[in-house]
Amino acid sequence: MAKTLRVRFQPPLVLTLLILGFFVFIPMISAFEYSIRTPLTGGYGWTHYIWAIREDDFFHYILRSMWLAGVTVTITLFVLVPTLTWLHLSRSEVRGLIDGLSLLPLVIPVVAFAVGAQISFPEFVQNTVLELPFLYFVLALPYAYRSLDIGLNSIPLKTITEAARSAGANWWRTITAVIVPVIRGSVMATIALTFALSLGEYTLTVLLHWDTFPTWVTFVAQDNILGAIAISMMSLIIPFLILTVITLFVPERSMQGRK
Amino acid sequence: MSSKSLTLRNISKRFGNVNALDNFNLEVGVGELVALLGPSGCGKTTALRVVAGLEHQDAGTVLVADKNISDVPAHKRNMGMVFQAYSLFPNLTVEENVAFGLQMRKVSKHLRLKKAHELLDLVGLDSQSKRFTHQLSGGQQQRVALARALAFEPEILLLDEPLSALDAQVRVNLREEIRRLQLSLGTTTLFVTHDQEEAMAISDRVGVMNNGVLEQIDTPDVLYNKPASSFVAGFVGTMNRIPAHISDGMVEIFGSKVVALKRGNETGKVHALIRPESISVAATTAQGNAKVLTRSFMGASSNIICQTEDGTIVQSLMTSASTGDLLPGSSVQLRVLSSEVLVANV
Ligand SMILES: Nc1ncnc2c1ncn2[C@@H]1O[C@H](COP(=O)(O)OP(=O)(O)OP(=O)(O)O)[C@@H](O)[C@H]1O
Ligand SMILES: [Mg+2]
Repeated sequence: MAKTLRVRFQPPLVLTLLILGFFVFIPMISAFEYSIRTPLTGGYGWTHYIWAIREDDFFHYILRSMWLAGVTVTITLFVLVPTLTWLHLSRSEVRGLIDGLSLLPLVIPVVAFAVGAQISFPEFVQNTVLELPFLYFVLALPYAYRSLDIGLNSIPLKTITEAARSAGANWWRTITAVIVPVIRGSVMATIALTFALSLGEYTLTVLLHWDTFPTWVTFVAQDNILGAIAISMMSLIIPFLILTVITLFVPERSMQGRK
Repeated sequence: MSSKSLTLRNISKRFGNVNALDNFNLEVGVGELVALLGPSGCGKTTALRVVAGLEHQDAGTVLVADKNISDVPAHKRNMGMVFQAYSLFPNLTVEENVAFGLQMRKVSKHLRLKKAHELLDLVGLDSQSKRFTHQLSGGQQQRVALARALAFEPEILLLDEPLSALDAQVRVNLREEIRRLQLSLGTTTLFVTHDQEEAMAISDRVGVMNNGVLEQIDTPDVLYNKPASSFVAGFVGTMNRIPAHISDGMVEIFGSKVVALKRGNETGKVHALIRPESISVAATTAQGNAKVLTRSFMGASSNIICQTEDGTIVQSLMTSASTGDLLPGSSVQLRVLSSEVLVANV
């Protein structure tokens, strides 16, 4: 009974898949197809990928972007998990305000944000590339915040926290040993979102005159468009592989029973 | 034995304009099980949470073995706590849940799992140790929660209505089990409940709370037979309130005079407080002083509800054998069996 229901034609699902297919999969497959063309021989080959990897700067920039993304993820988790836990537990009226504030980065144009940062930040901040992770953190905030918020809302946070505390866990261990593992799905989503957003961030980075992987790809694309596409394809796959590896290393725990 | 005594001295706690605890005092001896009983909102949970350090009192001190722990944070208080709602960690297996407290105390994995299995064995769940908590029934989950609270040998065990989400049969079994474990481990225990039967069944002493203060704390026996106030009398067990006249220390009920305990007004109208088992109902051919309304058979005993001539409803509890002729509608003679009764002002 239930099975036939599930298999039955569902217009909303079909529509979603159609839009996704049309705007995501088709362009991606086309880009891939394009990137393995070899114009000289007329066939297919890995020429552009080999060219990209041979480029000195390829690893330099992809590594740089990845560690910046890593720092962003770290900042996000360190700031948001305790803050949101506190907001949820205290039931204070501040929560509504912070909920609203967390959406601001969506409505402020990145250009305004970048210019503002340039005008207001002191020299020593602007001299270090570490200003980027903090700015990326703000850009990713609406997504990271919501993802963690959903996770914390779906568990009996107060009881679980108090059970942990009375069993002898201090705040740090309560968060790391109990809360984060219990909302593991949300935390993973937050990591993925923040990482992806930081890795692909272009506008702000360019406006602040920093070079990262996306700005480098744009630069390379001016001379070798096929090479640039090959690089982009790789930049899509490498973080994906890394995230997969991370997920594999974090022990899988059964969570289905939670309601 | 790691168990310690617990003292709450002049504890006050306000939430906005609600006085959850109002100059509250309580002492629990080493190895004793004390139940806090009272109507919803009287401050039972608040008292427990103040002891656990999950709530901080506005005034007063909490002492464990005469040491003031008012400023010790919750995670350093070494108190096991079982909550009303299911509070197990969903990401951990049953044995990992039980071993959690020891893990926080940096006990080696081997030792803490050994201890966890000991406790799971005590609550009869050792065979479930590798399962996840959502695979257990409600009663099993509370057993695991109990094992988790006891595994690190707490100085004090705190239970906040741990049975209220379970169905009747499980509730009775588990409360006996809690008592058995508590006695064998000798753990000082504070047990919060609003179920008076539960409180009376397993406690050394029961404290009855009302509006943030302790009205009376005594053994179940004393509490039942010598309630200190009209509130306690009404809250613990069933109590008939029968309008009567008092004069010279005697009350007149159902035509006979009985000694009045705890006098309120010295003369005039009062309420006599009488337990159902202290009232006998006898069938009479003559004009009795009441009529039978209903008779409910409960096995060994039967519950007879009568109405007196002036309209007062009186409940009596008698052995079923002597109630054969008490049919609804029949005329009966009520009598007070005890020689003394409590009275309260109208
Ligand atoms: N965090 C809080 N904020 C505001 N008021 C509270 C809070 N906790 C308790 N109270 C109030 O304090 C009073 C005592 O609450 P408490 O939870 O101790 O009652 P209780 O005896 O445990 O009741 P119940 O049997 O319903 O669990 C109640 O009036 C309650 O509304
Ligand atoms: Mg309560």
